[in-house]
Amino acid sequence: MIGPVRQAMENSSVLITVGSGGVGKTTIAATIALRAAMEGKGSLVLTIDPAKRLANSLGLEQLGNAEMRIPEESFARVGLAPNAPMHAMMLDMKRTWDELIERRAPPDKREKILNNRFYQSLSSALAGSQEYVAMEKLWELRTQRDYPLIVLDTPPTAHALDFLDAPNRILDFLDNDAAKWLLTPALAAGKFGLRLFNLGGSYVAKTIARFTGTETLQQLAEFMLNISGMNEGFRERAHQTRALLEAESTSYVLVTGPMPERLDEAVFFHTLLLQNKMNIAAVVVNRVHRPVSAELWAQAARLPDDLRHKMEATLEEAEHLANQDARGIERLRELCAPTPLVLVPRFDHDVHDLRSLWETSRYVWGDAAMIGEVAAR
Amino acid sequence: MVISPLGHVNVRTRVLSVLSDKRLLIVTGKGGVGKTTLAAALALISAREGKKTLVCEVNTKERVTQLLGRPEAGAEVTSIEENLWSVDVRPQEAMREYALMILRFESVYSAVFENRLVRYFLRFIPSLQELVLLGKILFHLKEKRPDGSWRFDRVIIDAPATGHALTFLSVPQVIIDTVPPGPMATDAAWMRDFLVDPAMTAAVLVSTPEEMPVNETLELDAALKERVKLSPQLVVLNGFIPARWDGAELEKLPTEELKEFAQGHRLRALQSAESLARLQTLKHPVLSVPRVYLPEFGRKAIEEIAHQLSSARSAP
Repeated sequence: MIGPVRQAMENSSVLITVGSGGVGKTTIAATIALRAAMEGKGSLVLTIDPAKRLANSLGLEQLGNAEMRIPEESFARVGLAPNAPMHAMMLDMKRTWDELIERRAPPDKREKILNNRFYQSLSSALAGSQEYVAMEKLWELRTQRDYPLIVLDTPPTAHALDFLDAPNRILDFLDNDAAKWLLTPALAAGKFGLRLFNLGGSYVAKTIARFTGTETLQQLAEFMLNISGMNEGFRERAHQTRALLEAESTSYVLVTGPMPERLDEAVFFHTLLLQNKMNIAAVVVNRVHRPVSAELWAQAARLPDDLRHKMEATLEEAEHLANQDARGIERLRELCAPTPLVLVPRFDHDVHDLRSLWETSRYVWGDAAMIGEVAAR
Repeated sequence: MVISPLGHVNVRTRVLSVLSDKRLLIVTGKGGVGKTTLAAALALISAREGKKTLVCEVNTKERVTQLLGRPEAGAEVTSIEENLWSVDVRPQEAMREYALMILRFESVYSAVFENRLVRYFLRFIPSLQELVLLGKILFHLKEKRPDGSWRFDRVIIDAPATGHALTFLSVPQVIIDTVPPGPMATDAAWMRDFLVDPAMTAAVLVSTPEEMPVNETLELDAALKERVKLSPQLVVLNGFIPARWDGAELEKLPTEELKEFAQGHRLRALQSAESLARLQTLKHPVLSVPRVYLPEFGRKAIEEIAHQLSSARSAP
């Protein structure tokens, strides 16, 4: 039987890993890209987290805002020989936004936009703008390069919704009925020079200005005016990005930990993906504690007293953790049915070198399964 | 208590005492390290010391009340046990409270702020959402009871993870730098001053004994100092695994399976010790909380962690 992640890798050109922070999304994304390359499908992993150690382990000094090929030596060093090239890239938010403006803005507006305070906070702070620019980059790579597989590691969102909602938010921003309506007098004045700026008689605008101060509204109006020439391009792109997210050839891998206290977030994410008609290939449950075998307990029972006490204490702790995880997994299986679960064990060491990525991939792929695994059912 | 040869009374102080007089605790760290758990445990300790304590979650799925085995609090400040209140601070409600404070009239608020277009518009005022969330939390530190005492002696924020926490806590400064003078800027200045005052505010960094979370904690410490001018005052190493096996004992184990199993524990314990050593380079007190092994992760686990936290003493 072919495992669900392998199947998704074979059938998709874009794989997106999603999930809460700290569950190992970056690791799973890198694992999938590595495995694809090993199997002969050239890949690019696009990550947002500045995981320096991951970059180092891939044999790169650091990941930059451009795609870099993982050198052959890095693979050879750990005895791996990929059948296709693997690339990696780390997204620099600010630079990607700036490039976007430089490409699209009319030459006379460029500087004004780049220096506007609203642009600066839009490109660095506005909720959803990170997610948007990640998708924008994905679209660019998808259409202008020919990687057979791109794996996108999404930024750790405070909110599951931020990611799926990002193109819509940007569209909202551009379709700024609200701003147009509020700022009409200002926009009109803009045509004759903003010196004559006047918030008109708008009661609403006056009330809002009590919060923000009049000048803030004025600067916002100026910004709107400057980017208004780019709206069409942005809107078209946001629609295309959204279409790419929903495409048949795009699959999602939801990554989570097995701890019961984190499951709600994973289930919520799963529901959202379904509602948005995204193809969910699998839920990868990462860092699962292995169950303790009866054989191990039997061996421990035969130890001399001092060693036996220590060993039993160690086994007992491990069993607690394994039981907690098993309960979490059981619930997850129920709540995410029929999406298949893929269990990846917790290793005794951190996973961030090619060797351990390869070891992880055996579980992600389905070559190896956890012993005494509940998944068999 | 130990009487030293010189006759001084040498009392080992509780590590937690570095937080004792702080009115605002900000609990942050990498995603998944147990920030909410620690915020809940610190809240329990604080309430039991007799401090009226409010624990705030920020626009997330509410978990503190669940961990403490209480009904959900929602967006209203809700009393959950003696001296302890909880609230999940959400943007829409916070915006309303903030707007009402400035506008003073409910009718004006409804007319203007409940307008769909205005709602859209407000989303794009940079950082306004974060400002009202933080503003509401800090506002609770200014509230007084009729007898003139504080409504809350202490507020504990279960803050977002690293990157989002930095954005969130930098908001007052960003507004001071970018928004021209006005009510928003005035409030932002007050908030910034409160956040950077080490007599009032302490950041508590949470990490787990693994390489990546420790790296992120070291970076977060630097970024908080640099970008927010906030110096963390305590680091909690959550899920610490104390050493149990040494190499000689491993050799005595008769089977490969047992050896491998004990070796796994030994590696994790070594990793814990190494993580502790790396965090100690930060020069803040570091408190390790041993991993809790209980069938359910709920009230009992929080009580256990609270006990560990409050009984930890500094080295003599």
